[in-house]
Amino acid sequence: MSDQALSPSAPARVKMPSVPGVVMALALLFILFAALSPGFLTTGNLSNILVQSVILLLLALPMTLIIMTEGLDLSMGAVLTLASLVLALTILSTGSLLLAFAAAVGVGLAFGLLNGWLVSMLSIPPFVATLGTMGAAQGLALLVSDGQSVVGIPRYVRQIYSGDVIGIPNPILIGIGFYALFHVLLYHTRFGTYICALGGNRDALTLAGVKWKRLLISVYMLGGAMAGVAALLMTARMNAGHPTAAIGMEFDAIAAVALGGTSFEKGNGWVLGTLLGVLTVGVLRNGLNLMAVPSSVQVTCIGVLVIFALLLDGMRSKS
Amino acid sequence: MKKLTYLAALLPAALLATGAWAADETIAVFTKNQTNPYFQTVRVGADVAAKSMGATAVHYIPTKPDSIPEQLSQIEDVIVKKPNAIVFVPVDYKAMTPGVEMINEAGIPVVNVTDRGAGGEYVAFVGADDYSLGLETGRFLLNAIGGKGNVVILEGVKGSLTSIDRVRGFNDAIKEFKDVKLVASQPANYQRLQGLQVLENLMQSHPQIDGVLAANDAMAIGAIEALDGANRKAQVAGINGTKEAVDAIKTGKLLASGDYNGFLQGCIGTMIAIRDLRGESVVKEVVLKPTVINASNYQPYDVALDARTCPTWEEAAAMETKK
Amino acid sequence: MSITDNPTTGASGIHLSKDMQQLVYRLLAAGLLCLALSIASDAFLTSNNILNVLRQASLLFFLASGLTLVILTGGLDLSVGANIGLSACMAATAIKATGSPVLGTLAGLATGLLIGLCNGLMVAKLRIPSFIATYGMLWVLHGITYYYMAGESIHGFPPEFRQIGSGYFLGIPIPIYLMVVFLLAGTFFAQRTVWGQQIYAIGANPVAARLTGIPVDRRLILVYAFSGAMAGVASIVFLARLNSAEGDIGETMTLPAIAAVLIGGASLFGGIGSVFGTFIGALILTLVLNGMNLLAVNASWQPLVTGAIVIFAVWLDMYGRKKA
Repeated sequence: MSDQALSPSAPARVKMPSVPGVVMALALLFILFAALSPGFLTTGNLSNILVQSVILLLLALPMTLIIMTEGLDLSMGAVLTLASLVLALTILSTGSLLLAFAAAVGVGLAFGLLNGWLVSMLSIPPFVATLGTMGAAQGLALLVSDGQSVVGIPRYVRQIYSGDVIGIPNPILIGIGFYALFHVLLYHTRFGTYICALGGNRDALTLAGVKWKRLLISVYMLGGAMAGVAALLMTARMNAGHPTAAIGMEFDAIAAVALGGTSFEKGNGWVLGTLLGVLTVGVLRNGLNLMAVPSSVQVTCIGVLVIFALLLDGMRSKS
Repeated sequence: MKKLTYLAALLPAALLATGAWAADETIAVFTKNQTNPYFQTVRVGADVAAKSMGATAVHYIPTKPDSIPEQLSQIEDVIVKKPNAIVFVPVDYKAMTPGVEMINEAGIPVVNVTDRGAGGEYVAFVGADDYSLGLETGRFLLNAIGGKGNVVILEGVKGSLTSIDRVRGFNDAIKEFKDVKLVASQPANYQRLQGLQVLENLMQSHPQIDGVLAANDAMAIGAIEALDGANRKAQVAGINGTKEAVDAIKTGKLLASGDYNGFLQGCIGTMIAIRDLRGESVVKEVVLKPTVINASNYQPYDVALDARTCPTWEEAAAMETKK
Repeated sequence: MSITDNPTTGASGIHLSKDMQQLVYRLLAAGLLCLALSIASDAFLTSNNILNVLRQASLLFFLASGLTLVILTGGLDLSVGANIGLSACMAATAIKATGSPVLGTLAGLATGLLIGLCNGLMVAKLRIPSFIATYGMLWVLHGITYYYMAGESIHGFPPEFRQIGSGYFLGIPIPIYLMVVFLLAGTFFAQRTVWGQQIYAIGANPVAARLTGIPVDRRLILVYAFSGAMAGVASIVFLARLNSAEGDIGETMTLPAIAAVLIGGASLFGGIGSVFGTFIGALILTLVLNGMNLLAVNASWQPLVTGAIVIFAVWLDMYGRKKA
């Protein structure tokens, strides 16, 4: 599968495409909506797009790493949902946001551990393992909530989502923070180097004496923890927990990662691409809503965009 | 690169063709999904009402059915465009409260339709009572089977308000008949295929089933197919009063369907929104009386949706429910 | 997940013997499930319920059998569920317009095939990763279907058409016959024909396959077209059983179909798997639902139980593979 030997101690070398499809798609959509929709190019609306994109970004970032290891995490949306309910229930019973947040991240970590264990120790294909844990998380979400929304969360929790620091909405700051974290993690740490090798060159890791199974588990745990963080924002956004709130969001995240040019083989990942992929979907949805395009047409547009951006990538790599 | 230029030329044209926001008064109508026929009846009702009053209804539907984050995003996007008024079916009556509060803060009047929102300020509420709809439909079926026998319930999506209340209504109806036994209550998630398969499975463990209460029409009709396939007879009732259910009642396959009357809800909700904008008198609360559509009264429902007309304001106002 | 330990890809004997060894474990999983269910519920082990389970499994099998070939090449088709929706709506429209079940069936199959062809062309010729090409296709199909159906349903079809889904022959439901036919034909195609062996070879090592002169692009287009056509078949049986077409009818079937293939022992990296394995996979998933209904398991527990059993079945299979 891999064509270059990657020395695990050397910094990861990730091929940066010349003008990636996602950049072109984003630029094109941006110009299009700016020209056609009067409300689009206002600071209010642009910050709107950024804020709306953050929860998806929080899932897409770890998903990038997981996909780089030739893995997949289908349970993320369901785990987010479950973590959000646990967060809501904990805050209702203890009144402590900190404890509730810890519980949410704990739920995420536990599912990440389970996913990682199934994938690395039992060698169950990630698609099946996480499909199974997705069902488990969904079922637990129904059980802890008895199928109903959990409400009555103190209003200050909403501030986490709707508040701002010197005029910049909190979610944007959180998004920037985690983006930076993942950028550093992937490109400037040994952990990142190993992750690149996990996808393309697992044998080399073994030869270098790296315990790659533990590494793989930690990647899935990172995904789970991020689902817990996203759960905080989601709960704050709805001021409630809901048993189906984020079902299916993992596929949006996977699409954003792929849109951003991360490939499903060889451990080629591009974190900035993931960010741009998330934004492209956000811009498209927002622009189409502003233009009051019928929902069925919007659905088609999203499909065309996904294919189109990858097509551009394909054309570029050929030439 | 040629393809790129094509798309650049095509997309704006396609988008302009769908352009909206032309009339003076624009009513943004939010519904839950584009797959359940019920919400189509709400949308058509809103369209008919808006048209007859010289306004435009623009529809916002989550691309992913019943998605809470997506409806929240759509509210944020719509606020940017400042429609004159909003007719709002929350995808979840509790979790959408922050969305309604955002609409309130933006100063856009909003009428609540179908599911009663748990928070935020509304001009009015127009809806039906799921509980009494379930109760009435349940009673109708239980009377039809002679007040005795084995009954199964097909539940909707776990956690949805409509399913919880309808199933509660079914259960309370069953409690009124001491010779009726509830042999199973299983989810079929409002899906036709699941309705069919769940009933097929239940028929294996229950040799005698006399009645099936389904929380919507699609599951009810799936259940009928299962019974037909096994050559067994049982009375089946659904809820929503969809066109397909009316057809099935006409041919005697379906016993009854509780009428949720989305068309009327869409009509009256939109009429209230427009009248409120124009400073005319409105009513605060309309909870439609439950009607059980059956072989004796289906005729008025056997009309194409867009050929139906909204009631006059006087008729609509007469349906007001005093708290 | 390395597949380099399976270097010979042309010879048919290897797949069969490997399959044989793993099959034991997969059948064991299904057998355990049946045993547990027959102890737990008297209604389970009756001829009626067995026919019932087989008929329910047939829909999933049609979808999953086409997918099996796609997965054998190392690809994925996420659009099969959405494909069912559009194909069923097209078939329904054609039957309503012409009154002819034959034309309706052809319209459904053609729609499915056409969608599959588009997927194949995107994957083989435009080199778009299959996950994304078919995920994009899923959205495009949903959009078209929603637009076309506008929230309505098309219902009421001629009785002779409905036979396909709800009819019986010699006391056995017609869909079960169809399932057996496709099971045999699919197995023969995959194991005993040159094209089938080439599909295994492409999945095991696409570069080597190209070098040995296998027309990779054409075979890829073939498998996606086949997967699309099988979604068309599923849509016809679906329509004939339910007597009604709606836009979202296939939506909840994509993931179970993929799960059925993987429970059946296929690897998403390609080259490993079989149509018969997929049949067992579809059967296990259907048994789980059947069992939960028979035992009246609380709704909240159902996704959890399904998830656990999916993982257990695959784990048993992996365990078997290691032993083998």
